This record gives sequence, C-alpha cells and structure tokens, in this order.
Amino acid sequence: MKHLTRAEFVDLIESSPGLSTERAQHLAHCERCRECAETLRSVRSMATVDEMPEPSPLFWDHFSARVAAQLRSEPAPARAPRWSPVPFATWALAGVVIMLLISTVVWRTTLHAPSPPVPAQMSAPVDLAEMEPVDDLDNDEAWAVVRAATADLAWEDAHEAGISAHPGEVESAALQLNAAERVELERLLDEDMKRNGA
Amino acid sequence: MSTDRTLDRPWPGFRPRHWRVTVTRDRTDSARRDARQLADDRTLVDACLGGSREAFDIIVERHQRQVYQLCYRFAGNHEDASDLAQDVFIRAYRGLHSFKRRSAFSTWLYRIAVNVCLNRVGARSQKWTPLDAADHPDLREERADARILRGERAAAVRAAIARLPKKQRAALILRVYHDLPHDEIAAIVGSSVGAVKANFFHALANLKKLLSTK
Repeated sequence: MKHLTRAEFVDLIESSPGLSTERAQHLAHCERCRECAETLRSVRSMATVDEMPEPSPLFWDHFSARVAAQLRSEPAPARAPRWSPVPFATWALAGVVIMLLISTVVWRTTLHAPSPPVPAQMSAPVDLAEMEPVDDLDNDEAWAVVRAATADLAWEDAHEAGISAHPGEVESAALQLNAAERVELERLLDEDMKRNGA
Repeated sequence: MSTDRTLDRPWPGFRPRHWRVTVTRDRTDSARRDARQLADDRTLVDACLGGSREAFDIIVERHQRQVYQLCYRFAGNHEDASDLAQDVFIRAYRGLHSFKRRSAFSTWLYRIAVNVCLNRVGARSQKWTPLDAADHPDLREERADARILRGERAAAVRAAIARLPKKQRAALILRVYHDLPHDEIAAIVGSSVGAVKANFFHALANLKKLLSTK
C-alpha cells in the first residue's frame, strides 16, 4: 500500500479531518510513516515555542498615529470606475447602429464595390499608328468586288431598295437558313474570329 | 435630538468682550466614531472610499497587531517590522478600490502583507534581535539555564525559518503563528489548499534538517 501523502501527513499531525480507515490501517502497520509523522509533529511544536515579544502598549498608539500622518499626504482612495446603468433600449439602439455600420462597410467593400479606377496606362490615348491593321481591306479581292459594285450607289437609293440592314433583319435572315447553310455560316464566323484573334 | 450641543461655529456678529467662545465639534462626531468602531470591515471600506479617512484609521487600529506580528515573523526585529507594517497599510489604502469583496478584508490585507514581506525581506539579510527576558514575563520564574536554553532554541528556530524558501516560510508562519486555516492561507498566497499543505509539509521537513545541522 502507498505511504501517506504530504497532505495526509499534515492532516494527521494537525488532527484536522483525520485519516480514512484504510489509511489509518496503513499507518498502524507502516513504521516509516509513523516516524515521519512523529518528526513533523515534534518540529511543529518546537516552532510554536518561539513566542513573539510583545511591543510596548504605547507602540500601538504611536504606530496608528504614524500611519494616519502618512496617509494624510496621500490622495483619498477613489472608487473603481463602474459602468453607469444604461437602459436596455440604449444598448439595443447602439447595437443596431453598429450592425448597420458593419453591413454598410461589408456591402461597400465586397459585392457592390465601385469599379476600380482605370490605370493611367489604360486611359492613355491609343496610338493608332502603332497598331497593325486587322485586315488589309485595300488588297482584299472580295471587298474590291463589293466596292466596285457599290461605287455608284447612293445611300438613299440603297435604303429605298431595301439593301441596307434594319434592326432584327440579321436574326431573321439567320433563322431562314437551312441546316447546311447554318453550318457554313458557323464555319465562316469561326474562321473570321480566329483570324482576328478573338 | 441632541440637546447638549456646544457651539460649533463662531458668532462673529455677537460676542461680548468678556465672553470666551470655544469652538468645538458636535458630539455626534464621537457617536459616529463609536458606531464605526462597531462596523464591519466592508462597511469601513465603503466609508473610506466615500471619503472618510477616519474609517481607515479604525481599520488600522483593528488590524495593526496582526499585520505587525506577521511582519515581525518575516523581518525578525521591531524596527523593520514596524516599517513593513506601515508600508502594508499605505499600500492597502492606495489600493482600497481594488478590494473586490470576494474574500474577507483581513485575507486581502494579509495578502498585501505577505507580498510586502516576501519582496522586502527576501532582498536583505535579517537582523534578529536576541530574546529579551523582559519581553516574556512568564519566563522570569524559570531557572536561568532553562531560560537561556529556551532563548537559544527560539533563536535557532527563527534563523532556520528565515532560511526557508518563500512559499514554505509564508505557509509555516501563517499556519503556526497566525493559526490560519489552510484554505485561508491558500487564498492569501494565491494557490490551492493542496499546494499550501505540501509547502507546509516541506517547511517542517526542511526546518527539521536545518535545526539538526546546527
């Protein structure tokens, strides 16, 4: 069985709560624990012998007067700062205001953030001279045919003749194409987009 | 209502030459002081925080003996113990607003005293005053050799206690000389009851070693 713990030794020599039956049985059979307890008990009683000399009765009056004199130069102790009792409605209102502020900040910084300013490089005027032509229209044979055919055509005449396009006419024309024509149109558009780097 | 009031302020407009007017304080002041003497520590603390310095004077009068005795156990001489005790009360006065009322006021004051003593005494060597027979009237009837032996033993115990580690010394002094229960000692030194008992155990064991090597 385990020897007594330090706390059990202290309880034993001060005979405060006493030991449990099991521990008391151990003590009865363990000479080492008994010796230890006896030593602690004797040291404790030895320490108690040392009585403190009592100062003169006049000392106490002198002491309290000395402390009082010292405290007169001290500022009066202040109470610890406390929260003033604020009504619940005030706290609720403050909470609502804080929530509104937070939601406004979140709204402004995330979903509905204003578009970032255009960098100076992008806003600078484009130098057209440095850009390569997308297509050489002057040397295009098909475009030359169209150009020749329409050289003498006035805009008003073409409009009256129904050559010019009106809104929605491209869509309706595309819908009238058959399947083969649509495939071909798609191929041409893809080719044109690839050529233009789209 | 009190009918035996004396003049508590001068009468500048009406004072015949042959009159000698003395200005005294209302006698209710002394009654108030008597009431405060009976008040508990927390009431006095409240009064003190409300601006009454007199309330703290009563606190000092009430606890000065215990605080001085604790300081003496750490310092070992009257002069240092007196200075330490004064320091304890001044620190308590300054920090009165931090007394949270979770423990007794005396426990809070003991905590300040132990901290002051451990900080100040640990940093310097102790000057133990020899035991004077006049301090112990009951010793006068003892035989001279017995008295000397007793004095020597007490001095050896004090010297041994002074060599104990801080926490063990505090546990021993508060338990043996102030007869405080272990749970209150734990509240004072800021540890668990188990730790206090362990410190007390080691204090006694070390004291035995130190005394046997003498």
